[in-house]
Amino acid sequence: MDFGAWTLFGIWDLVIGILHVSARENMSSKTSKVSQREFRKRDLFYLVPLWLLSLIAPDPYLYHKKEFKKKDLFYLGAIGLAPLIWSDTHFHHLMVLAGIYAILALGLSLFMGYAGQISLGHAAFFGIGAYTTAILTTHYAFPTFVAFWASAVSAAAIAYLIGRPILKLKGYFLALATLGFGEIFLVIVRESTDLTGGVIGIFGIPWFSVMGFSFDTYLKQYYLTWGVLIGLFIFSKNLVRSKVGRALLAVAASEDAASSVGIHVPRMKLEIFVLGAAYAGLAGSLFSCVMSIANPEAFSLGLTVLIVMMVILGGMGNLYGPIAGAILLTWLMDILSKYQEYSLPIYGVILILLLIFFPDGIGTRLNVRVIYLIGYWAKKKKRDEGKL
Amino acid sequence: MSLLSIEEITKEYDGIIALDRLSLKVEQGSITGLIGPNGAGKSTLFHLISGVEKPDSGKIYFKEREITSMESHEIAVLGMGRTFQTLQIWGNMTVVENVMAGMNRRLKGGLFSYGLWLPWIRRSEKEALKEAKEILDSLGLLGKWEFMASQLPYGKQKLLEIGRALAMKPELLLLDEPASGLTLSEMEQLSEQILHIRQEGVTVFIVEHHMGMVMEVADEIAVLHNGKLIAEGTPEAVKRNPEVIEAYLTPGAGGSEPRRQEGIE
Repeated sequence: MDFGAWTLFGIWDLVIGILHVSARENMSSKTSKVSQREFRKRDLFYLVPLWLLSLIAPDPYLYHKKEFKKKDLFYLGAIGLAPLIWSDTHFHHLMVLAGIYAILALGLSLFMGYAGQISLGHAAFFGIGAYTTAILTTHYAFPTFVAFWASAVSAAAIAYLIGRPILKLKGYFLALATLGFGEIFLVIVRESTDLTGGVIGIFGIPWFSVMGFSFDTYLKQYYLTWGVLIGLFIFSKNLVRSKVGRALLAVAASEDAASSVGIHVPRMKLEIFVLGAAYAGLAGSLFSCVMSIANPEAFSLGLTVLIVMMVILGGMGNLYGPIAGAILLTWLMDILSKYQEYSLPIYGVILILLLIFFPDGIGTRLNVRVIYLIGYWAKKKKRDEGKL
Repeated sequence: MSLLSIEEITKEYDGIIALDRLSLKVEQGSITGLIGPNGAGKSTLFHLISGVEKPDSGKIYFKEREITSMESHEIAVLGMGRTFQTLQIWGNMTVVENVMAGMNRRLKGGLFSYGLWLPWIRRSEKEALKEAKEILDSLGLLGKWEFMASQLPYGKQKLLEIGRALAMKPELLLLDEPASGLTLSEMEQLSEQILHIRQEGVTVFIVEHHMGMVMEVADEIAVLHNGKLIAEGTPEAVKRNPEVIEAYLTPGAGGSEPRRQEGIE
């Protein structure tokens, strides 16, 4: 899938947003004006993670150096200290969500950024994880720690069953097949009311707890989520800097050449698809524990597009990108939520702008040519008048 | 029995016969050249041997095992390396990673042992890096081992592709038009490399469009024309063969040359 296809996602958000706004305008009178919100000091805090993002941003010319570096230690410190410095529950909650999305995006980036495939059904595996935890803990009173691992296993098992037939497809066909799977999952969840609670979902999922220690505050959940994320990040990084990563990149670049050196291309794709689904299952389990609710709305196509956007915006082909993208988009959506019905159009515009200026992901490479063109247009009038 | 033996292979594309009951043997330790004018069926033959395509009839044996219906990655694991007519280098990896990826099937361990970076994985990765550097050294590419493969000039990429195939430790190396697009000095380098590869005990099977380089390095030459073998023997004998001379002087002689298969590339 090329750059143009990704901008479509931005436009998609924009159109939905505009429809949403016009519907609202028609419905209500001038009473629902956007509140002129006062500037909050908290907003400034979000600039700091953004600044951190710029540090996370990988150097495109060095991204093949895949060893762990001192830089990684710096990130580790920043992640550990951030919630203590900004001890604001809203910030904590936002970062918990960002962490969960980052786990999802990490799994997807292995499949998309490295193996060069495309999946638009990733939200379904997230949902499978969430529902597995929800059902096991509420219906059968399993401890959350057991349900956590069961979520990964169930998501992976379903990914295996789905992946075997559909991974033979390529490009847009694979995108459509995975998209279809995501929709089927939603229908099943909505219809099987006894098990999943239908449209309403499942309530009262207990906090995540390990050996009696309950993660009952946002701060604890922050460390839980980011702990899991760091673990999975190290696992993924070990994969991509070794034989597995090379095989994935080989599959992405040329399948013929990959099989000519004995790489079993279909199995490689399947393995990484299943692994990505297992990540999503873990993320889903954490999500249902944090939110203490699992309902189908949370796992719709919108989430898939969001995750894909995180991977694209963060930058494909490296593992820092999806995390950076997850933090950026979670933060962006939160800031924009204050603009109520105008949030989606603004969100769409920002996505499009980001994709134009950073086609390889935020922080990787500013598209200098675009800036040059803007400068050219700006000066065009003067030039035409002979002033320049 | 020979290392590679092809028996009565036929391949047809929409009524155009690309290969017609072709039989050929490649002896262990030799450098065998396969030449022929455009559209003679050379690349088709390579695709059939390496499992990219399947023949309509006939059998292919490699190391006395039938490989006719095997998948290409299975054939590769048996010990057959190949390069491609159109360069298939992995531009998204560094030069050294390209070679290391060639060792893929020799490196043991699954997803989890790599993800958890078990001690023996660390060791095997280190050894793989060392070995890959040695291969690059022998090809004269060591100076650029950290470059992205896409940054190399064309001739070097062709060498890298051979290096990648060598990293598999193959017993048979198939070279599909290795000299195409190379300068004269690069071609000389390539001939040296091919002779060097043979010295290390690898059997080489070259397909070439131009006679020059193959005549220099090969011990055995087979000439393909319109899907049929028209001559076989030492380079000198083949050069003097009147049928070969005719085929090369009148390239359109057959009239129904299956040019399509060149387009498939």
